[in-house]
Amino acid sequence: MSLRPYLAYAKKIFLNRSAYRFDNVMGIISTCLQFFIFWEIYKALYGTSTDIDGITMPMVTTNFILSMGLGAIFSPDDYFLPSKIWDGSIATEFLRPISFKGRMIAENVGNALFNLLFRFLPCLIIALFTVGVNAPASPAMLALFVLSAVLGFGVLWTISFAVQMTAFWLINIWSLITIKNVLINVLSGSMIPLWFMPRELTAILNFMPFSSVYFTPVQIYLGQLSFEEIMLKCGIQLAWIIVIYLLGDILWRKGQKKLIVQGG
Amino acid sequence: MKDVLHLMSMYTKTTAKAWFQYRVDAVLKSLAVFLREATGIIVIWFTLMKFDNINGWNIYEMVFLFSLLFLTYGIMIIFFTGLRDFGNTVRSGSFDRFILRPRGLLFQIIFVNSDWFAALGHGGLGITLFLISAWKVGINWSLTNALYYIFTIAGGVLIQGAVFLTLATLNIFMLQTNSLKELLYWNMRKFAGYPISIFNKAIQIFMIYVMPFAFVNYFPAQFLLRKSDMSYSEIYMYLTPIVGTVMYLAAYLFWRFGIRFYKSSGN
Repeated sequence: MSLRPYLAYAKKIFLNRSAYRFDNVMGIISTCLQFFIFWEIYKALYGTSTDIDGITMPMVTTNFILSMGLGAIFSPDDYFLPSKIWDGSIATEFLRPISFKGRMIAENVGNALFNLLFRFLPCLIIALFTVGVNAPASPAMLALFVLSAVLGFGVLWTISFAVQMTAFWLINIWSLITIKNVLINVLSGSMIPLWFMPRELTAILNFMPFSSVYFTPVQIYLGQLSFEEIMLKCGIQLAWIIVIYLLGDILWRKGQKKLIVQGG
Repeated sequence: MKDVLHLMSMYTKTTAKAWFQYRVDAVLKSLAVFLREATGIIVIWFTLMKFDNINGWNIYEMVFLFSLLFLTYGIMIIFFTGLRDFGNTVRSGSFDRFILRPRGLLFQIIFVNSDWFAALGHGGLGITLFLISAWKVGINWSLTNALYYIFTIAGGVLIQGAVFLTLATLNIFMLQTNSLKELLYWNMRKFAGYPISIFNKAIQIFMIYVMPFAFVNYFPAQFLLRKSDMSYSEIYMYLTPIVGTVMYLAAYLFWRFGIRFYKSSGN
C-alpha cells in the first residue's frame, strides 16, 4: 500500500483551504473571541483571589488557549460521509482503488495541519502578547504534550467517525452530530476547566472519553502529572481510540451492505 | 385586512407543514438547536456551582439574562427567517417572483418562510430559562413590571429584526453579506449572554452603540434586578422599546431606498 495518494489528498485539502482568505480571517477572529470571552469571565470569577484550589489564573488562561487552540486544529469534518450519502457520490467512492477511511483520515490530517498554521498559531501569538500563556513545565513535558495531543485528536476523530457511520441508517444526522458536539464542548474541559467541574460529574466523566481529548494534554503541558500518571492517561487515550474505532468499524461494515443511494 | 390575515395564516400553515414533514427528524432538530444554544448557559451553570457568582450575578440572575436573549431571537426568527436567508433569495433570482405578485415585498418575505426549528429551539430555551429563573430572582411581577417586560421583549425583537433587515438590504448592493453577518451579529452575540460589566470598555461601547445587544438583555435585566455592577445612567434601562422602534424604522427606510436599486442576478 502506497501512501502517495493519501498525501495528495491531504495536500489538496490544505491548498483548498488556503484559497478562502476571508473565511480564514473570520475563523481566527472567531477563535480569538471565544477564548477572550472565557478569559474575561474567569477574570471576573477570580476577582482578587490569586488561586482557587491551587489553580491560578495563568493556569486557567493556559488551559483555555491550549484546549480551544487544539479544538481549532482538530475540527474533524463531521459531514465527510453524510454529505457523500446525500448526493450519492458515495457510490463512486467505493469504486476508487484506495481506502475510503484512509482518505477520510488524510483529508482530516491535511485540514488539521492547515488549522495548526493558520488558526492555532495566530491565536497563540495574539494570546502571548495580550494575556500571556504559561511556558511548558519542561521540554520533556512539551514533547509528551504533543504526543498526547495527537492521541487526543485520535479520540476526537474516532468519535466523529463512529457518529458519521450512523448516516447509513439515519441519512440525516445533523441533529446527532450537533448533540455530539455539545457533549464534547461541555464535557471536554474546553469551556469549563475540568478542575472546576462539580465533583459528582467528575466521577462520571472518568468513564467517558471526553477528558482524553483536551484535558490530558493540558495537564501534561502544565506539569500536573507524574510520569506514571502520564503513561496511564496516554494508555487510556489509546484504549478509547481502539474501542471507539472498532465500534465505528462494525457500523462501517454493516452500513456498506445497507447503503441506499438516493439518485446519484 | 381580512384578506391579509387569511394570507398570513395560509403561509404559516404551509411553512409549518413543510418544516414538520418528517416528524421525528423535526423533533430531533429542534432538540439539537435547543441543546446547542443551551451550551453557554450549561457551562455557566456548572461554573457557578463552584464560584457562586460572576460580578455579583448569581446563577438564576444569569439564567434570566440569557432567557431574554433567546426569547427575543425565537420570536424574531418566526418573522425574519426570510430576511436571514435573503441573500439566497436574491442570488437564486427567486426574489423576481415576489416582485411580480400583488402584495407588499416585505410582507411576502416575512410570511413566506419561518425557520420553525430555530424558533422552537431558541424560543423553547428562552421560555425554559424564564420559567427556571423568573420567580427566583426577586422580581415583583406587578402590572408595571409585566408591562415593562412585554415592551422590552418587543423592543429586543425589533432591534434584532432591524439588524437582519439592514443586512438583507445590503444584499441588494453586494449579493454576499454572510461574512458581515457572522462578524457583526453572531460574533457579538457570543458576548451577549453575560453582564457587559465583565468586559473591557471597547466591547461595552460596541454592545451599546454599534450592535446594541445590551438593550436586548443587559439593561432590561438591570431594571428588573437592580444589580450593583451598573455603571451607566438609569435612562438606558428605559430605552429598549425606543431603540428598537427607531432602529426598525431606519432599517425600513433603508430597505425602501435600497429596493429601488434592485437588479436581478439573472437566472
